[in-house]
Amino acid sequence: MATIGKGITIRGTLTGGADLNIEGQVEGHINLKNHLTIEQTGRVQAEVKVENLTINGEMLGDISAGERVSISNTAKVKGDIRAPRVVIDDGARFNGSIDMDVKLPDDL
Amino acid sequence: MANTVIGSSIMIDGEISGDEDLVIQGTVKGKISLKESLIVEGSGVVEADIETQNVEIGGQVTGNIVASDKVELKSDCRVVGDIKAPRVLIADGASFKGNVDMDRK
Repeated sequence: MATIGKGITIRGTLTGGADLNIEGQVEGHINLKNHLTIEQTGRVQAEVKVENLTINGEMLGDISAGERVSISNTAKVKGDIRAPRVVIDDGARFNGSIDMDVKLPDDL
Repeated sequence: MANTVIGSSIMIDGEISGDEDLVIQGTVKGKISLKESLIVEGSGVVEADIETQNVEIGGQVTGNIVASDKVELKSDCRVVGDIKAPRVLIADGASFKGNVDMDRK
């Protein structure tokens, strides 16, 4: 389990296989095989590719998740989301498009 | 325990800056500038120029280190680069190649 604390800023590419908690700032690219949590104090300005993503803080950029994206009521998100499951809580602020890759019936 | 831990399976390519302690168990390439302490643990691999107050190295570091207080090279560490700090400690068993500058003004 890795944590980026409140006083830390990272600019660049972050990759890995462990769960990651961001309480600080990250700018650039994030590639993670597991669960990424952006805490309330966290600010992420990045293109994010993860398996699971929970956002409680601020996020700017496109998201691609293999499984699930969850945006809580304290979150502020701007960007396009691509994931099979997307959950947006009441009170969350979101601006962007969502693609759940739903198969539409042929006659539509 | 420091608040920020870069775990062993995490790789960062870029710049890390901040004003709190940082523990690196994973891989960091680029540049690190901190106002507090940096700890590179045994599993940590750092290829970066480091600017901080204190550094404690148990892992591998390639790059130049500038510390305002202290640099500590523990046994089993491997460090290649120049060190500039008022206090430099090198433990028995540490591997180090580079210059040490303790210039106190």
